[in-house]
Formats: sequence, structure tokens, C-alpha cells
Amino acid sequence: MNQTVRRLRYVSKRLLQAIPIVFAIVVMNFFLLQLAEGDAVDVLAGEAGSATPEYMAELRAKFGLDQPIPVQLARYLGNVLTFDLGYSFRYDMPVSHLVFERMVPTLLLMGCTILLAVSFGVLLGLIAAVGLNTWRDTMVSVFALITYATPLFWVGLMLIVVFSLNLGWFPTSGMETIAMFYTGLDRVLNIAHHLVLPTITLSLFYLALYTRLMRASMLEQAGQDYVVTARAKGLTERRIVFGHVLRNALLPVITMAGVQVGALIGGSVIVESVFAWPGLGMLAFEALFARDLNLLLGIFFLSAILVVAVNLVVDLVYSMLDPRIEVA
Amino acid sequence: MRNLCLAACMAGAIGLGAAGAVSAQTRGGTLSYLVQPEPPTLANYISTSGPIGFVAPKVYEGLVDYAPDLSVVPALAESVEVSADGLTVTFKLQRGVTWHDGEPFTSADVQFTVMEVLKKYHPRGPNNFREVTAIDTPDAHTAIFRLENPAPYMMRALSAYESPMLPKHLLEGQDARNADIARAPVGTGPFKFVEWRKGQYIRLDRNENYWKEGLPYLDRLVARFIPDASTRTAALENGEVMYAALGAIPNIDAVRLRDMDEFSVTTDGYAMINSMALIEFNTKAAPFDNPAVRRAVSKAIGRDFLIDNIFFGYGRAADSALSSNFEAIGLYVGDQPNYTESADPKAAIAIMDAAGIEPDGDGVRARVTLDLIPYGEEWQRSGEYIKQALGDVGIKAELRYEDVPTWLKRVYADYDYQFTVNYFYQLSDPVLGVHRHYGTDQIRQGTHFVNGTRYSNPRIDELLAAGATEPDAKRRSEIYAEVQAILAQDMPVTNLFEMQFLTVYNNRLKGHDASAMGMFGSFERAWIAGE
Repeated sequence: MNQTVRRLRYVSKRLLQAIPIVFAIVVMNFFLLQLAEGDAVDVLAGEAGSATPEYMAELRAKFGLDQPIPVQLARYLGNVLTFDLGYSFRYDMPVSHLVFERMVPTLLLMGCTILLAVSFGVLLGLIAAVGLNTWRDTMVSVFALITYATPLFWVGLMLIVVFSLNLGWFPTSGMETIAMFYTGLDRVLNIAHHLVLPTITLSLFYLALYTRLMRASMLEQAGQDYVVTARAKGLTERRIVFGHVLRNALLPVITMAGVQVGALIGGSVIVESVFAWPGLGMLAFEALFARDLNLLLGIFFLSAILVVAVNLVVDLVYSMLDPRIEVA
Repeated sequence: MRNLCLAACMAGAIGLGAAGAVSAQTRGGTLSYLVQPEPPTLANYISTSGPIGFVAPKVYEGLVDYAPDLSVVPALAESVEVSADGLTVTFKLQRGVTWHDGEPFTSADVQFTVMEVLKKYHPRGPNNFREVTAIDTPDAHTAIFRLENPAPYMMRALSAYESPMLPKHLLEGQDARNADIARAPVGTGPFKFVEWRKGQYIRLDRNENYWKEGLPYLDRLVARFIPDASTRTAALENGEVMYAALGAIPNIDAVRLRDMDEFSVTTDGYAMINSMALIEFNTKAAPFDNPAVRRAVSKAIGRDFLIDNIFFGYGRAADSALSSNFEAIGLYVGDQPNYTESADPKAAIAIMDAAGIEPDGDGVRARVTLDLIPYGEEWQRSGEYIKQALGDVGIKAELRYEDVPTWLKRVYADYDYQFTVNYFYQLSDPVLGVHRHYGTDQIRQGTHFVNGTRYSNPRIDELLAAGATEPDAKRRSEIYAEVQAILAQDMPVTNLFEMQFLTVYNNRLKGHDASAMGMFGSFERAWIAGE
């Protein structure tokens, strides 16, 4: 009971601290993006082939790009305070609408990836650490090294060549078979079918990281006094590994996973592009080249919130995994 | 005479269309095709951007269409009559045509589209329709264009891609650039807009009430967006998409697919855009303020090398300011001086020697920065070759490759460049695609793809003005012959090669080439064998 109250108080304190952090991030992003040459109107007019200077001036006025930068910033901050992320001039849609539409596929891909990478990483790390310096350890370490060193886009393309073109097991790209317009359970299965290759590609890289981290962390814990004590008590190796070492060895892995949930949004540009997965990474990438600053700021804003939130969750998970760590 | 010819062409085409309909096409099926990159909107009445043009002309129609041999065939206009003085053009419109929302299509829509939208907001509309002063609508099925001067080129700018007819009832009183139909178009065409999932696809369904009996053959079109070029190729290879155009499949993959049984590659369907790769010189800054250096650059570059090694043999070396595609309308005069197919460093050096441009101690005659159009790797490779070719004649070039907005601003707004590789659509007539490159009135700071070289020659201005309004074909060719001769000497721009874009398609797909517009066409006669 007491602990629940303490946790709640801790959460609200952290949330309050998050406000100035997010605010600072928004302001910094705003100025960073001003450094880019050209604006959305240049891009739109360039794509259109030709446009009169009057038309371009009119567009700038419409988008508010003719205002001095402090005025633009103040306006933007005002909008953000009312949870209005502004309007994407390129897509002619509210930013929030666009971002949420693309958020679902990203979360789906990210969620599956993290789950797959962490669970298999922990498992492989465990196998390697338990069988230290045996063939199992060597196999796992070599596998981890290779997947870590291979560029993501190459892995993706090779998976497409093998599993789509040669074997015909999975579709090359996209999130669903559009021509069929499935509904209900069929649609869920269809999306899952499309999800396989991108998830594996993105997981492989992180999998290697978690494997290596888990292995090192297990080995470090194995030399601790409490393990010696446990062994002296006459516990079986199995109990020692699963009951004592594993739980403690997980902490660094959880930390890493937490940090990477934030990074995965940006890091998936490559995978999204290779597999034509309609996620946020691609949207941000396109927005940058189109100088669609409202959209970019919106994506950054949400990413910042996500990172802050995940950090909070990670801290809470810590205290559950290791009762010695207290939240205050 | 001309009226008769047009009428005859149209009658012939109607006959053809009817005959085509009875052969063995299969009805039904879905065609997924690639559109790259995803278009920002579908408003092809305010933007001529390629991806928009791949989708919108399936929904909208033009007054006329163009057969693969470039002859005019009827679309929303069943006939066209041009008066003897060329100042009145009368379009008789099809009867029984409705918009996708059920409203009837009438001459008021034509009048509104041209006068209120295309002439005001379309990037090329002010040029296409510049002589049109008024459009009379004596009845619902007649639109009479009143022209200030004859405009022979206008008949070549009436396709669904270039001049789509728009629903007046959905646009009137609104800001055309911000109307709902910019995202969800409502046209008269063979396919109806259904859904646009950003980042994934646009879905168009068969228009059951299409006024052309029995068309279209397909039930559905799906325009898919796949950002990665290798994945696009894989998707085509896997049969997930069946059609890709305008460089969606890189040439290196296209030639591989060409050799497979299931796929074909064609360069047809691009005659109306008529693309030309070129170098623009900043004529107001050293060293290219001196025409001799510009001519030397032109002579030093092996156009054959670029075509063979970087574009896989697709392209034709340019030898004039005009594309050889203009031969069909009698305006092209090839083999101009200062052009060369293979690199001619000796001639380039001779030109500079004669102009007194001497090498310094390091053998360098000029140090320059070459900007490259940021539209893909092949332009970077072209730049690398050009750098080497210019090095051979003592012009030391640094390459600069920036992103699109930065490059556009540098070249067309700030004029902060020395020379840049670029490409221009010369379109179906020089008035539409070439005049904007050379006219003094086309030096428009901040406007893209116009006279960014700031070249100005009163004689050229005179000739261009005359060429735009000259109805006599022979006089017109004389005018453009002089234009080409002058430009080969002054050379504010040197053309490199006529680009041949590749369309790669699955052999099961038929009838996609029924129009000269290629992928900018309607796909109304496309069908899938074995569906």
C-alpha cells in the first residue's frame, strides 16, 4: 500500500519534470530545422515544374512562413500547448492525423522487434554464458558478431531475395495485400504475414546487441559473492542460474531496451524504406526532404514524449525486478 | 484544310476504338502499379509533378487524347474545329457524360476549368492558354475558345495530364488549391477515386457509369509506393506490381528484367514530355559569362559516353537546342555547330585558345563548381564523368550534390552557381517547353525551371514571339531554324542527350500503351491476360 502511494508520487514528480524537458526539445528542434536551406514552398513549386513568384509568396503567407522566426516559434508553442500539432502543408492534412495514422504500423513493427530481439537475445546470451567457451558459446558469439556487423538494408534485401523471390513464402513489401482488401481475421493474418520479414530484419541487429550484453552481464554476475554463497548452500546450478543470476543479469538488458525503444522509431527508416512499411521513420524522412517542418516537429515531439515515457516505465520495472532499487 | 484533317483523324480514331472493343480482352482484375515517390496531393491542375500525373489522369479526362502516333483523338470533345484565321476553336462535347458524383458534365465546366483554374494556377497553363481571351458556351455541349492570336501548340496541350477538365460545382467559390478534390479527385474518367492510405497506396475503382461503352476493362487500380529501388524491382519480379515507369526501376535492373520472359521494357509513352538532359550555365558569372568557355564545355563532353555507360544505352545524343522529337512538326534542325557526340578535347581547347583563355602554371584554364540535379545516382555518376572530361581540357571542376530544396534555391532563386546539370521537359511544342528556357521575359527570380542562366538576346526574344503565333508551318520552321543556329553559338545551355525513360511491365498486362501519354494515360484499355 505504502509502496503504491510512493510509486504514484514518484510518477507524478517525473511527469512534472518531463514538461520542461519536452519544452526544451521542441524549442531546440525548431531552431535546428531552421538551419536547412529552402522551405516547403520551394519544394512544392519545384515539383510543380514552374510557379510564379506571386504564387509562391501567397503560399508562404498562407503557411505563415513569411513571419519572423520568433513569431513562428511562439505560434508553434502556442499550438503545442493546446495539443494542436499544426498542419502539414505538403500533405494538406493536420499533422496529428498523419502522425497517428503512421504511428500504428511503427508501433506494431517496433513492438514485435523489441519482443523478438529481447527474448531471443536473452535466450542466446544465456546459452552462451552457461556453456562458456564451448561450441555453443562460439556459435552464438559468431552469429551475434555477423548480424551486428551486417548492414540492415542488405539483410532486408537478402531476405527478400531468398524468402520472397526464390521461395515465395513472404511478400516483398507493404503492410497488406492491397489488391485483395481483406477484412476481419483474414486481414490480421495478412498483416502478420507481411510483418515477418521486416521484423526479422530489424530484430537481427538488436538481437546481436542483447545477446552480447546478456552474455557479459551473466558472466559478471556469476563471479559475485552471492553466487558463491548459493553454491556453498548446495543449490543446484540450475537454481543458481535461473533463481539468482538471471534476474540480476537482466537489469542492463532492460536499460538498453528502454533506451532503444526511443531510437527504434528513427532507426527503422531503413527497414521501412526497404519493405515499404508505412511507418513514422519514412514519414520523417520524406518530411525532411520536403521541408515540411510542422510535420517533422510533430514527429520529434511525439518521439520525445515516447522516450520520456519509456524511461519512466523502465525505472518502474527496475524497482520491480530488484527490490533494492527504490523509487523516490 | 486543317479542320478536315483533324476531323478525319478523329473519325478514324473513333472507328479504331470501336474495333478494339470487340477483340478478346478480359474484363475484371486489379492492376497494381508503382508510383514513385508518393505524390503530395492529386491536384494535377496545380502541379505537373510526375507522381501526380501517374494517378490523376485515370480519374480526370482532357478534351482530347493522343494516339501512340501522336495524332489527336477525341476524349471529352467529340470534335474540334479551328477557324480559317486560327482565332476561334470550337469544341463539341460528348453527350451523356457525368461526374463521378452524378452531376452532368457541361461546357460550363470547360469554361470554368480553363479560365478560372488552368490559366490561373496551372504551372504551364498560363502558357498553354495564353492566347485564350474568352470561352463562349452557346449550349451545354459546345465550348468556343476565342483566341487573341493563333495558337497552333494549344491542340497538343489538352490531355488529361496537361489540362484536366474539372467539376465546376465542386470548385466554384473555393480556393482551387485547397479544395477537397485536391486529395480526393472527382472526375469523369474511367476510374473513381476510393481511398488513399498515406505511405501505402491509392485505390481507384472502375467507374460503372463511364460514358465509353464497355470500358474500362479493369475493376481496380492500385498505385503503390515503395521507397526502396531494389524492393520495387523485387515487387515487380514477384508479380506484386505489374507496371513501373519513369525510372521507378533503375536502368541497371530494367536491362536485367528485359532479358527475362515475363517482362518487357519500352521507351514509348514519353514523347509528350520529351525530356532533355542538359547543362545550364550562369551567364552572368565568370568563367561562363564568356560564350567560348560554354562552347568548349559542350565540345569536351562525350555524350555517347554518358548514354552508353551511365544510362545503359538509353538516350540519343543531342545536337541542337531542340529535341529530334520536334522533327514530326518540322522544327528540328540537327547537327548544329559546337555540339559533338564523342568527346572532342582538341576542338574544345582550340575554342578556348582562340578566345585567349590561357592555362595557368598547372595547366588549368578555369576552376569551377558543377552542381548536379539531386534526382538520383546516375546524375552523380554523370557529374563524375563530366568532371573528368573537363579536366582533359584544363577546366578543373568540383562537384556539388545537395538536396532538392537547396539546389532549387541555389540555381533559380539565388543564382549562386556556375553551371549545373539538369533536365527539362521540352514537351510537345517548343512554345510549351523550350521558350521558358531562353526568353528574356522568362528570367523570373525564384521561379523554378525557367531561364536560370539569365541569358538575354533581343533577336531570340523576337523569334520566340514570332514562333508562338505563326500559323504557317513553313515559316515556323524557318523561325526555329534561326533560333537553333543562334543558340548553338551563344550556348547559354548545352543539351547533353534526349532522355529515354524506361517503362518496365509484366507481359500479362496488355493495352496499357493505348495512348501516347503512356503512364500519364488513363489505362482505360489496360487488361490482364489470364485474369
